Amino acid sequence: MNEKKKISHMEKKMSRQYFLMVLPGFIIFTIGLIVPLFLAVRYSFTSWDGMSAEKPFVGIQNYIDLMKDPEFRNAWWFTLRFTIWNTVIQNVVALLFAVALDSGIKAQKIYRTVLFVPCLISALVVGFVWLKMFSNVLPALNDVLGTNINFLLFGEKRTVLRGLLIANNWQWIGYWMLIYLAGLQSVPGDLHEAAKVDGAGPVSRFINVTLPMLAPAITICVVGITTGSLKVYDLLVSSTKGGPGRASTSVIYQTYTTAINGRQYGYGSAMSVTLVLALLLVAMIQVKGLKKKEVQV
Amino acid sequence: MKKKSILSLLLATSMTAALLAGCGSSGETGEAPAAESGAETQESAEAEAEAETPAAESSSDEAVTLTVLAGQSTTDAGIEDMIDEALAAKYPEVTLEWECVDWGNDFQPKMQQYMQSGLPDIMIGKAQDVATYAPQGILGEIDAAYLDKGLDAARENVTIDGKTYGLVYNALYQGVYYNKTMFAENGWEVPKTQEDLQAIIDDCNAKGITPFASHMVDTWSIGNVTMQFMMNDVFNNDPTWGDKFRAGEVSFAEDKAAQTAYEYNKLIFDNTYPETFSTEQTDCDAKMVLGEAAMKVSGSWSIQNFLDIDESFDFGIFPFPNQTGDSKLIFEPNITIMTSAATEHQDAVNKVLDVLTSDKELAVEILDYTKTASMLKDVTPTFANPSQADIDAYAADNMIVDVTLGNNQLVWGGFQEENAKDIAAWLQGDESFEDCLKASDGRVDASSAN
Repeated sequence: MNEKKKISHMEKKMSRQYFLMVLPGFIIFTIGLIVPLFLAVRYSFTSWDGMSAEKPFVGIQNYIDLMKDPEFRNAWWFTLRFTIWNTVIQNVVALLFAVALDSGIKAQKIYRTVLFVPCLISALVVGFVWLKMFSNVLPALNDVLGTNINFLLFGEKRTVLRGLLIANNWQWIGYWMLIYLAGLQSVPGDLHEAAKVDGAGPVSRFINVTLPMLAPAITICVVGITTGSLKVYDLLVSSTKGGPGRASTSVIYQTYTTAINGRQYGYGSAMSVTLVLALLLVAMIQVKGLKKKEVQV
Repeated sequence: MKKKSILSLLLATSMTAALLAGCGSSGETGEAPAAESGAETQESAEAEAEAETPAAESSSDEAVTLTVLAGQSTTDAGIEDMIDEALAAKYPEVTLEWECVDWGNDFQPKMQQYMQSGLPDIMIGKAQDVATYAPQGILGEIDAAYLDKGLDAARENVTIDGKTYGLVYNALYQGVYYNKTMFAENGWEVPKTQEDLQAIIDDCNAKGITPFASHMVDTWSIGNVTMQFMMNDVFNNDPTWGDKFRAGEVSFAEDKAAQTAYEYNKLIFDNTYPETFSTEQTDCDAKMVLGEAAMKVSGSWSIQNFLDIDESFDFGIFPFPNQTGDSKLIFEPNITIMTSAATEHQDAVNKVLDVLTSDKELAVEILDYTKTASMLKDVTPTFANPSQADIDAYAADNMIVDVTLGNNQLVWGGFQEENAKDIAAWLQGDESFEDCLKASDGRVDASSAN
């Protein structure tokens, strides 16, 4: 009986400790995220300009206007293409790099560091660096090599996405590679041995042993890359500024220019609400779908 | 389980509180009453100002730190150190806490943020900002003691209902910068009409010279030159075109003059280097100085680059010719000092205004550094400006127009800036000219500052 009481007291104490530990994060999360989110929902039903005291209620008019807004549709189209290409390229290339580094090649640490360093740089700097690369550095190579390769990727609508994908993947592949590498290193060697004994070749072992064991890492990477790409903004600010024209205007970029520069805070809030809903939906679908494929050892 | 319930309850409570806070109309709850309280405090600030100004002469020596939001053009970065130094020499008890941001991208967002949380004591923007923020009741009236030290011409566009809310410090000129040596070598005269300009363009193309240097990767440059074109082809003929636009009397889709102004962008695009959408301003200015292009539609902000690259670069300026051959050189009041109506340190603010308007050494230092023209009486910059002779000639002929007229009617943020993106898309063939005009018309509600 005494023992039971002791445990119960211990549990209470632990719970109190957990609660206290969660509290700061909870407060910050609520103030920094939940409150603004709900304010945004409220503002999305107004025609507030972000400056005046009045916030005239307009019901769902902003959402109706959004459906008819070609600029908003264009922004979504660009964001979706950017997201899909990023998710595919970054996952595949990061996994390949991780497999290569996990194979025991020489100077593994150096490669790992070199690939990881770009993600430590601010996206603003990355955008600026690649603007200079495409505008000045690489075209100068044409003069040296006597070639005529079009490096001005940020200068045309048909090439701007390509340029941004290069910049974004250069920055983030190393980061996701590390997650895959950690996943690969946690795959028990016994499983590979057993598969080998059963006569499985390297490809078969990769598909039937490694990939299923990597499912948790794949979930993290796919959700992380997708949601990160859907939110792209800072890279665009310092490189293409959403252009040429509106060719690289993302949903967040469009939201910011509409709400802040355009002084249509209510309309911009409606844009941000749709983005949050889309992010939640995508993350939910991905997590649910990918979780099913995860295996536990 | 109980803990989970408590956590859920807390979360739900905070969400509900947030929603209620958002739902509360400001009129009823007093939420976000920046403008209202601003208006109230403006009155009290005015009363105080009447009783005490010029405060610089009668105030105490108590140490005060003033907050300053400086929306800067590319040429302005660095003037804050000059002002700090001059202020420390005359009023060591006043220090400034600067927040310098890019005017084009960040000034408006910052102002919106501060309108909710409380304005800085001093704001430095452009003359057109007065039309945006003064009607909100948040700007303090500038004392005549300081305004009188500036040129009268500087007051017109920063005065609303007889009250002046901005102290215009310097000015930029905008037009077509041209390589004087190249013009002389090729026997080109400064063009007055579109035909004259076309003849130079044709000759350039025949001789393998790029007619125009441009940097269209910076959408703002498209917006800027478009307003220059609008000033001479639209506002010169109809000074209230913007108001008529909002009244539905004119539109981009139907107004030939406005369309012509947009079409000049095509003339430049067709006669510039192919990498314009990948070229930044510094590279573009370098091309101009290095003789890779004959002309550049720009403003005084290019002079700093021109002279930094080559001190001996000889250039002039002329207004971009309009359809009627009577273009005027564009004048833009630039650094404009505004003060908060709610400042608790009006004395110290006045001391800053005093230094800015009475310290001629400081003024010359700033003007020489920014390569801009003075808007203060009896202050003349000493830097050698090769285009000054042209400016003086246009001024003597009364052929200068203040672009604030256009900028006040068709605002930059949300209108000119957005239209420029459509123009860029049209130039690249991604949008039809009709759609570009239609998009500008569709933005009519965002065209006004208020």
